Amino acid sequence: MVWLDLLINGICLGGLYGMLGVGLALVTGVMRLVNISHGEFIVMAAMLGVGASDLLPGLNPLWLLLPVAAVFFFVGYGVQSVLFNKVVTAPDFLAPVLLTFGFSIVLRNLMFESFGADVRSLTAGGLARMSIEVGSLSIGVLPLVTLGLAILFFVVLQLVISRTSFGRAIRATADNREVARLMGIKPARIYNIVMGMSLALAAVAGMLLAMRATFTPFSGISNLLVAFEVVVIGGFGSFWGAMFAGFLLGVAQLVGLKFDPNAGLMYVHAVFFAVVLFRPQGLMGVKLP
Amino acid sequence: MKGGVILVGFIVIAAAAGLIAPRYEAEGALRFVSEMFLYLAMAQMWNLLAGYAGLLCMGQQMFVGLGAYALFYTALQLHVSPYWAMPVAAIFSGVCAALAALFMFRLRLVYFAIGTWVLSELIATFLSRTPAFGGASGYQLSEVLPLIDFDWFDATIFWISGGIALAAVWGSYALMRSHIGLGLMSIRDNDLAASSLGVDVWRNRLIVFVLAGAGCGLAGAVYFTAQLAVGPSQGFDSNWVVAMMFITIVGGIGTLEGPIIGTVIYFALREIFTNVLDLSGSWYLVAVGAAAMAAMLYAPTGLWPPIRDRFGIAGLSVRRRPPAALRGQAPPETVVTAADFKSS
Repeated sequence: MVWLDLLINGICLGGLYGMLGVGLALVTGVMRLVNISHGEFIVMAAMLGVGASDLLPGLNPLWLLLPVAAVFFFVGYGVQSVLFNKVVTAPDFLAPVLLTFGFSIVLRNLMFESFGADVRSLTAGGLARMSIEVGSLSIGVLPLVTLGLAILFFVVLQLVISRTSFGRAIRATADNREVARLMGIKPARIYNIVMGMSLALAAVAGMLLAMRATFTPFSGISNLLVAFEVVVIGGFGSFWGAMFAGFLLGVAQLVGLKFDPNAGLMYVHAVFFAVVLFRPQGLMGVKLP
Repeated sequence: MKGGVILVGFIVIAAAAGLIAPRYEAEGALRFVSEMFLYLAMAQMWNLLAGYAGLLCMGQQMFVGLGAYALFYTALQLHVSPYWAMPVAAIFSGVCAALAALFMFRLRLVYFAIGTWVLSELIATFLSRTPAFGGASGYQLSEVLPLIDFDWFDATIFWISGGIALAAVWGSYALMRSHIGLGLMSIRDNDLAASSLGVDVWRNRLIVFVLAGAGCGLAGAVYFTAQLAVGPSQGFDSNWVVAMMFITIVGGIGTLEGPIIGTVIYFALREIFTNVLDLSGSWYLVAVGAAAMAAMLYAPTGLWPPIRDRFGIAGLSVRRRPPAALRGQAPPETVVTAADFKSS
């Protein structure tokens, strides 16, 4: 029973990790850019969520998910059009990585200067204490809601990319930027929107994570590393692979913490290295570029 | 010959400074310059990887921490002076780099960059929760302090740091002038074309990764010896790689002089921010990040190449001239250039 409980909770946590990873994978897949500042945006969204729920006491923070996601869509759109589009077509891979790395340093230390190093979290009110009894199992409602939201976002994203004409434009730009441009698509605009979508996903995941666990301005690094591990384990450019990788890492973390309460993300990183050693192409999907 | 004069001058000045400074109670200045030397050595190692071998390593701080831990562990276990444990730190970090390469070289480009970062975090977490390695508080040199002569401590650290910086710059120069360096640069520019010409990509990269690991390990060991203590959060701090990156790209990535200029700018900025403007360390890091971004956007080559071209200084250039040019003839017109292979 303990094991089943761990498995279910791990999958609920893993849904969030999957969301962190999908945001990163979307950007990497479409514009070959690994956004090192992804983790900092996740923390910023959680900070905004905490600030907004302080202003609106009594409101369940779940209602703030969509407004905060909308804010971060525009933040992503703006950052991409002002900054990242300048390096996205650079011939070597150093320029985009180092630009986003520099950006992450700026954001992390600005957050530290503005909000201090206090440990924070989002309180979900009565919902956090509610649970469903199934036989002798007790499953928290909040983790289940989180998992449901994660799956919902996955399905919506998958449908947008695979079924709509806008999704076709994204896939065309990802395949061949120049040919897509000849067909009347503006690659820079597609990139802006994709970065907006990526950060909106990151914002939702960041707020849901802040309801589960505490965070500080320096949590961005571990968020980025988890998101990156999801992308590599899931296989490059595979949405369902990312989700499955998230589940694997979530379960690995909770099982690790069960045996070794101070381990933090150690077992998550260990699973990542096991996968890199034995299946460097990821569990699903195609080989790394 | 000019290089030799500069080298001898550097050694004489450094030796004299170390001898004279303690008499005038200028140990603070010695410590400051020692730190600059160590940062220069680390940045030069990172530059070897990112600028010459095409290996962007964002987990290079793991070698700084591993070297420091190896030194403290050896000194405390064997009860020897930390000076004698310094070679152990370099060798241990080099061996760790070779082992890490087995995993990490399976990942390429950005994936390698972040993969090494994950490895660094993994080692730091492991050390911080293992009481045998000092746990979260780390190690202190307390038990071996009687073995250190504190009258000459700052001067000795200064000489060692200067030696390491010198070895890093001249060693990099010699390495890049050798066939290994030529192979590395060809891999960086086009790994497919290089391997089709018989360059062993894996072996060349391994050599430079191990050397860079050993260099950063040694520099880290000396840095934390001067601090007399090391902990997992200081040794494996990602701000080490932030400093290496800033120094390299602002000074000029892929040039041996770049990190020297970058180190001077890094420390000048730090002094201005913390002592003149009296701002906190995190505002300084905001400036470092912003300056690195500005460099990537507006001057991706860094500061050295424009200076070199403006004044025609050869410096530590590792450029080779084709045999035809040496004989005073124009080189034959090339039909196929490396750029033709780029699109693959």
